[in-house]
Amino acid sequence: MIMPLLQGLKITFLHMFKKPVTLQYPKERPVVVPNYRGLHALKVSHEQAKCVACYLCPTVCPAKCITVEAGEDAKHDKYAARYEIDLLRCIFCGYCVEACPVDALKMTQEFELANYKREDFVFVKERLLEKK
Amino acid sequence: MVNLTIDDKQVTVPKDATIYDAAKAAGIRIPILCHDKKLHPFGGCRMCLVEVEQMKGRQIPACTTPVTEGMIVRTMTDEIIQARKMVLELLLLKHPIDCPVCDAAGDCDLQNLTYEYKVNGNRFQDEKFQHKIDYENPLIERDMNRCIHCGKCARICDEIVSFGAYTFINRGIEAKIGTEFDGPLNCEFCGSCVSVCPVGALISRPFKFKARWWALNKVKSVCSYCGTGCQLTLGVKDDKVLTTIYDENQGFHNGQLCTRGRFGYQFINSDKRLTTPLVRKNGSLQPATWDEALGLVAAKLAEEKNAGGKTVAGLATPRLTNEELFLFKKLFRDGLGSDNVDHSAGYAHAALTAGAAESFGGTASPATVADIQASNLLLVVKTDAYETHPVLGFEINLGVKRKDIDLRVLSDKRGKLSKLPKAVTYVHKPGQEVALVNALAQVILAENLQDATASGIDGFDALKQQLDAFAPEKVAAACGLDADTIKTLARDYAKAAKALIILPLGLGYPGHGKALAQALANLALLTGKVGKEGCGVLYLGEKNNSQGAADLGLFPTAGGADADAILAGCQNGSIKTLIVAGENPVVSYPDRKKIEAALDKVEFLVVQDLFLTETAAKAHVVLPVCSFAEKNGTYTSVGRAVQRVNQAIKPVGDARSDFAILNGLLAGLTGNAPYADTTAVFAEIAATVPAYAGLTMAGLGETGAILPATIKPRFVAVEAAAIPAESGKFALVTGSALYHCGTMSRFGEGPMYVCPEGYVELCRDDAQALNVKEGEAVVVKSAAGELKLKVKVGARMPQGVVFAPYHFGEASVNSIAVGAPVTWVSISK
Repeated sequence: MIMPLLQGLKITFLHMFKKPVTLQYPKERPVVVPNYRGLHALKVSHEQAKCVACYLCPTVCPAKCITVEAGEDAKHDKYAARYEIDLLRCIFCGYCVEACPVDALKMTQEFELANYKREDFVFVKERLLEKK
Repeated sequence: MVNLTIDDKQVTVPKDATIYDAAKAAGIRIPILCHDKKLHPFGGCRMCLVEVEQMKGRQIPACTTPVTEGMIVRTMTDEIIQARKMVLELLLLKHPIDCPVCDAAGDCDLQNLTYEYKVNGNRFQDEKFQHKIDYENPLIERDMNRCIHCGKCARICDEIVSFGAYTFINRGIEAKIGTEFDGPLNCEFCGSCVSVCPVGALISRPFKFKARWWALNKVKSVCSYCGTGCQLTLGVKDDKVLTTIYDENQGFHNGQLCTRGRFGYQFINSDKRLTTPLVRKNGSLQPATWDEALGLVAAKLAEEKNAGGKTVAGLATPRLTNEELFLFKKLFRDGLGSDNVDHSAGYAHAALTAGAAESFGGTASPATVADIQASNLLLVVKTDAYETHPVLGFEINLGVKRKDIDLRVLSDKRGKLSKLPKAVTYVHKPGQEVALVNALAQVILAENLQDATASGIDGFDALKQQLDAFAPEKVAAACGLDADTIKTLARDYAKAAKALIILPLGLGYPGHGKALAQALANLALLTGKVGKEGCGVLYLGEKNNSQGAADLGLFPTAGGADADAILAGCQNGSIKTLIVAGENPVVSYPDRKKIEAALDKVEFLVVQDLFLTETAAKAHVVLPVCSFAEKNGTYTSVGRAVQRVNQAIKPVGDARSDFAILNGLLAGLTGNAPYADTTAVFAEIAATVPAYAGLTMAGLGETGAILPATIKPRFVAVEAAAIPAESGKFALVTGSALYHCGTMSRFGEGPMYVCPEGYVELCRDDAQALNVKEGEAVVVKSAAGELKLKVKVGARMPQGVVFAPYHFGEASVNSIAVGAPVTWVSISK
């Protein structure tokens, strides 16, 4: 009867001499693994988004959270005139990154995505552009 | 029939079939890139290689090899798969791998086959092409770097469209599909080449980058422009019609479309669409609710009903569905007790509703579209048959080129049909059609070429007597043809085993009315060329449902006022309320000044339209309605084909269909319950209109039905109206431009890119005499008024004759043409 109780207390006691597991967030920052699937970013090359608006990411997206509208630029090339991800619907599966034929999309280690308003969870192209 | 074995399957096919056809019949798929069922076999791509045991295992192309008795064919051996892989590798050597930005991706034969044959790498290496991409024309983008040299574009343009815009140029690895002097494409922009291109070398510019193939919802419908009744597939995404999709298995035309059908769909989701009802308040049209707008209309109609229905009238466009037209007629007949209903200015349907009705005992043509290719001789009145109904023009092209049909064109100008092999165009003086056709009939009688049945038909003696005045010698001078030519034509027509007459109708052709229709009917009846395959008279109704409007009696049938009388009534006050459903009389009816005065004068004008047209701008109440893509119903086309239109998108804005509006008004006036839906109305049409008996909406299916025609022949002697000539003036003939149909195509971007404004077309000699060049503005002046139009110089016009299309609101040709077949004008700089 008393033995299990003592055993429990022993574990508690031993922990007092160990490094604490609890992270003092936000004062302390976690180490995010490199393959973590956080906020999406549109890669930039030659000062413009690499995305060619091929629509493969909205096609593959199981949560239907990506909206793309293609446009024709001055050189008659295809670009994403509109690129939006609704993070409230996103399930961070990363299929969009896998589907991208031009390596224009990545998932960053950014995980602090809380916000106050619903509309702030819709990330438009400007917010998604990779920050360097 | 020939028996052969394909992949251990026994197949029996006709002896003119190829191995490819035989395999298709057996349900075995052979991959192809350069083959199209509409075109002659080409054998260019080498994808369809198969092995034939009798040929010692050699690989031969299935699409060009005819079947022989006892052939044993294998379509899928390891060697064949290797060979096909190699073909794909060689094609991909030069073909850019830009599928992410290519609009063909998803619908690309090369992409699909590459996937199917698992071509993941390439054993060869080479640089890609660096051809200049043609961005210069408005509708078709040509990226020859993507081209795989299947030649389908060049072949369809030559074989079916008969334009010949493309051909292979250069040799060897430098070979490519080129245009005239390798410049930007400048053709009639039917887009047939885009539809058959197996890759993305030719793409539609209006649809460029709009959506991916797999994201489109495909809805089958019927084109809402001309009366041909082409079936089409709309590509819909997010409640917007984004494109038209090619389906080679649709309709008699195998998916072929013209400029307006393929590129003119933008009117459906145009920004200019009306989205809310408008009511005139203090002199200007203000947005209103449906309750307010319909309340005003219902109150006014109730008032008119109580007044006896004599002062209310309606003009409806033959673009409405059969169900809507039926309700329109019923609203006036049963709801208001009025017979003042008409369409198409009264004359553009007279050939059917008066001409055919008297001569053949029904309002329909005694021929179908299938008769065109089944005939031996086609007598086409006006080369404009191609402009008014381009896809029927393709049928004529095919008939002439493939089946060696003798094409004779009676016309006041030359045209595209004149250029067909062995086609003979009889260029006569404008407005002389009836005299000329009577002369043909006279020759047939004088030379005893008539059919034995002719003398038994009512009116034969009267006709014979009357035709004496039309001996070729007597009319030759006035027609501008010599008597011998007329006689030869008459003999050839009479002696042809099967002959079909084609007459286009329309608002641009005031001369193509009752008289001409009957003169042609006489000709066909005299020679016994009615009611048999490949024979008859095909009246080409102008709009998508012109035939339906004629069948459903959308014209005064009990002594009411016709379009002309209705407008005169508006002017003199005897018509107080006018409902205009979709018509745009201000631009399309003759004599703009008179129409504008009449519409300004009428007490209460209700216009139901998609757009704020010139007519709608004069209305007291404007009701926004639905386009064909937003509703269900049926259209009846040329050759009596009834086909279904299917709703593809939700109504734009607050628009309601004409069906809903008319159904509500009718129920309000009669006190009866409204119809449940279009099917209920179609059932009533089937029960009350004899030609539609036995049809059901569900029974029409995807292919539609051909209405039966019962022919009660009768000869009606017709007099040729005298065309007063004025010396020193030009004869102006109006008509349809190839890129437009009615006034609705002005709201489709495609047609407006290629033909944005009205013009006057004249011959080189006249242009030189007037010292004007292409594109210069001239003043065209008639007794009714004057107009500034741009000059188009063409080789097809005879000297002294000028042509102007009628579709355009600004500088509309009806401000100088008042409804005569020929308008005499003077032209000055």
